[in-house]
Amino acid sequence: MSSEPKEDKAKMDPREAVDRSCRGPVLFLAFSAVAWLLVYSLFALLAGVKVHASGMMADSAWLAYGRIQPASQLALQFGFLVQLGLAVSAWILSHRGKTVLVDGGYLIFGGMLWNAGVTLGFLGILAGNASGLEGLQMPGKVLPLLFFGFVLVGLSLVQTNNRRTNEEMSPAQWFLFAATLWLPWVLGGSYLLIHFFHAKGVVANIVDWWFIQNFAKVYLTFVGLGTLFHFLSALSGRQLVGRGHAQLAFWLLLLFGSVGGVSPGAPVPAWLPALSTVTAVFYFFGVIAAWVSLSRTVNGASAANDEDSLAYNLMRLAALVFISASVLNVFFAFPGPGSTAEFTTYGPAMELLFNLGFVGLTLIAALYHIFPRLAGMDFSPRMTGIQTVAIVFGLFGATLPSALGGLMSGDAVLGSGFYFASLGDVFLFVGSLILFLNFLRAILFAMKNCDCLAGFCGKANTKEANA
Amino acid sequence: MTIGLSFLLGLLASSVSYFMLGLWWPVAVVVGLFAWLAFGLLDVKMDSTFTLLGGLLLVFCVSLSAMVFRASDQLSGLQYIDTQSEDGIEFRYPVPLLGNARYGEAIYKANGCAACHTQQVTHESVVLDVKAMAGKKNLAAVQEAISRFHKVTGRDASSGAALGLPVGEWGTVVNDANAVDASKARYFLAAAGASVDVQVRFRGEDLTQHDLLNPRGRGWGKRRSVAQDYLFAEPPMLGSVRIGPDLANVGARYSRDVLMRILLNPKIIRKDNKMPQHRFLFEKADEDDQGQHIINDVIVLKDILLRDVGADAVKIIKVHVAIGDLIEKGKPIISVKLEETQMDIPNLDDEKISAFLEKKKRESKRFVNAGGGLISSPFEGIIKELKVSSGNTVKAGDLVLIMEVAERYKPTENAEALVDYLLSLKSANYPLPEAPINQPYTSSMPKPAPVATPADATAPAEAADTVKPDEAGK
Repeated sequence: MSSEPKEDKAKMDPREAVDRSCRGPVLFLAFSAVAWLLVYSLFALLAGVKVHASGMMADSAWLAYGRIQPASQLALQFGFLVQLGLAVSAWILSHRGKTVLVDGGYLIFGGMLWNAGVTLGFLGILAGNASGLEGLQMPGKVLPLLFFGFVLVGLSLVQTNNRRTNEEMSPAQWFLFAATLWLPWVLGGSYLLIHFFHAKGVVANIVDWWFIQNFAKVYLTFVGLGTLFHFLSALSGRQLVGRGHAQLAFWLLLLFGSVGGVSPGAPVPAWLPALSTVTAVFYFFGVIAAWVSLSRTVNGASAANDEDSLAYNLMRLAALVFISASVLNVFFAFPGPGSTAEFTTYGPAMELLFNLGFVGLTLIAALYHIFPRLAGMDFSPRMTGIQTVAIVFGLFGATLPSALGGLMSGDAVLGSGFYFASLGDVFLFVGSLILFLNFLRAILFAMKNCDCLAGFCGKANTKEANA
Repeated sequence: MTIGLSFLLGLLASSVSYFMLGLWWPVAVVVGLFAWLAFGLLDVKMDSTFTLLGGLLLVFCVSLSAMVFRASDQLSGLQYIDTQSEDGIEFRYPVPLLGNARYGEAIYKANGCAACHTQQVTHESVVLDVKAMAGKKNLAAVQEAISRFHKVTGRDASSGAALGLPVGEWGTVVNDANAVDASKARYFLAAAGASVDVQVRFRGEDLTQHDLLNPRGRGWGKRRSVAQDYLFAEPPMLGSVRIGPDLANVGARYSRDVLMRILLNPKIIRKDNKMPQHRFLFEKADEDDQGQHIINDVIVLKDILLRDVGADAVKIIKVHVAIGDLIEKGKPIISVKLEETQMDIPNLDDEKISAFLEKKKRESKRFVNAGGGLISSPFEGIIKELKVSSGNTVKAGDLVLIMEVAERYKPTENAEALVDYLLSLKSANYPLPEAPINQPYTSSMPKPAPVATPADATAPAEAADTVKPDEAGK
């Protein structure tokens, strides 16, 4: 297409020009994300199996449960969620701003750095160089790599947002813009406090909890909500209702999501758990405000285009997961119920439900919408159907039994929740494998059949971005 | 946004930052003003990147200072203490890990033990015991106060506590009261002029010993964990999921031997144990190695074959063992008679013959030894199946019997270090002022002050009450 004369280009749908600028970088990030999802589901499955068959792989230190479980978490959060989040953010910010993606090369280079960081962190954990903390489990040395990788991607996104055609920013843009800035701040701050200033004793844990809280309650939530705010109105063909609500939600979620996350019995000064309960309650008001705005926008509407109905319905499911997980979170934030759930498998299960059920599903649904526009080639419909069903089944299969099992068992003794959870892991693995193959197949076909992916190398589109 | 609504938001922001985040009040006021101005007065919309960026930076600073810096300030003064336990043993706690245990901490970290094990003993509630002492003059008033307290809080068995109160001695008023009741009791008693003493006790399943009366008790430590315990941990691996038991006091609960066994094969301890085996921390022991550190693990079935006794075929005269017998290594299994002595002994002198036989023996370790007419067992184990009976003729290499034999492992340096580290985890043995094992009544401590008289009764009450329930939780 780059061979066409310029006059034709001007007449083209501006959206196509935007898509062309996004093509290489966004597909690169999305593909790496999907690959990391596959790695996650494989290692989560292995970790689950190790609980049933205690003698399996017991001779290999690399495959100890305590190594593959944190490694799989890293693959899910930093490999899959963050990268797909960046890919979708780049697309939404350029489309909302009606401008081409600025400096897409930064996106690819930053994405490479980020991937290198995640890979080194993943291998580092498997090799036994974990930091011993819960949130930032990867070896401290890879954090600067991750930081600079993200900053490079962020530079492109912030510039794109600054060159928007409309002065007025929509809620989707606030949320995605804030998320893009927030993660490097939090990541850099935690790195400095833990590994540079060597926070002593439980202060290191407090910094780590602060990171976990900010990563989940601000960064991931904002990416998920920003995507929902854009797509639920775009796909249903309606205007977003309740901008004021969205504004209130934005500030409440930001202010109260950035503080807290300390469990009720933690060996830290008592005001920290108390503060966490208070912020969890206020945070919930933000959730309600966002929910009001979203539900009034959707209000029973179905997708404007039939081809988008899968993505649209998946997003509605993700929004439902978001509100239910938030209701449960605020209930268990109180000390009474909280100490029942504390230390059980309920916690990790809910975290997975939030990560994959809300943010992951939203982003995958967004990918379904974005991919054909970028690659000029759709996913195979049958494979898409199978993978969606497998992922959704796997998601609930992997989380609900272990959440329930955790609540029923109390601490220390596990019920049968784990066995069902492993069944869910199998579904997740199958789903993510098919998603990966589907992606790969579509990309290969697109590269073969048309020249629309010539820019996948990242050269052509930077030229266009400058044009 | 209207000015009124934005003002309310500003008010909310400033009160939150003052009351909840504990910011210095001028900062809280500035935060409130900023929020008010940002939302309403200047009518700054969310459209400029500058507004968004400013707000984000402000929230980031508030978040960092409210959660991290404030906690860091409070905890920066933590130090070890020199004190003594109830037995009078002096100790310094906590101390940095020494030698092997320090390396063991790295092993614990590298293998992600914290993925399943916490290192924090928690308490679920705080209960208070209240004691009182009355003088001669105010005995009746204090008794009246005690009955009133029991009546108000709806406790039945009050008369005993009230009537049994001796003059000039401490008597229990109420046990296991919650904070509200305890403060009521204190108020009533102080009003009646009694000396009051309050004991704070932490309760929770972690702290309760597991026995018939407390089936839910876990006995994971005699006291709760506090920040001071982790002064030298790098980093504190508190953990958030208890798929296995808490390890804050594992050194006080288990011996080195048991810990080694659990690491090698947790099912040895409990059949339904979910813990994966950690065989990579062990190596297979030589059969000759008889050291104390050897651990017998996984039972495997081994075929015991007849070794080359030098003859083509031998006849079994007697079988010395039966199925199910536990036999030691070197004990006879069967006696054989050499039917035809066609031993093909090389033409060598005696020394060389014995060397040759030795070599043969070493080559075929798993084969049954033939010592004279007796064939002895090469392993220690349990006879599972007997494949021969007396009168049979067997050849070298024939299956004689199948034995259950344990695989023998010895721990590597890593396992030794890890267990050293686990054994060093016994925080409950070291009571701390803010986490006592059994907080004594202040009155039961030796005190220079004389017995309180009604006149200054309120003064010791104040002194004794320095540990308030809400402060004790910190």
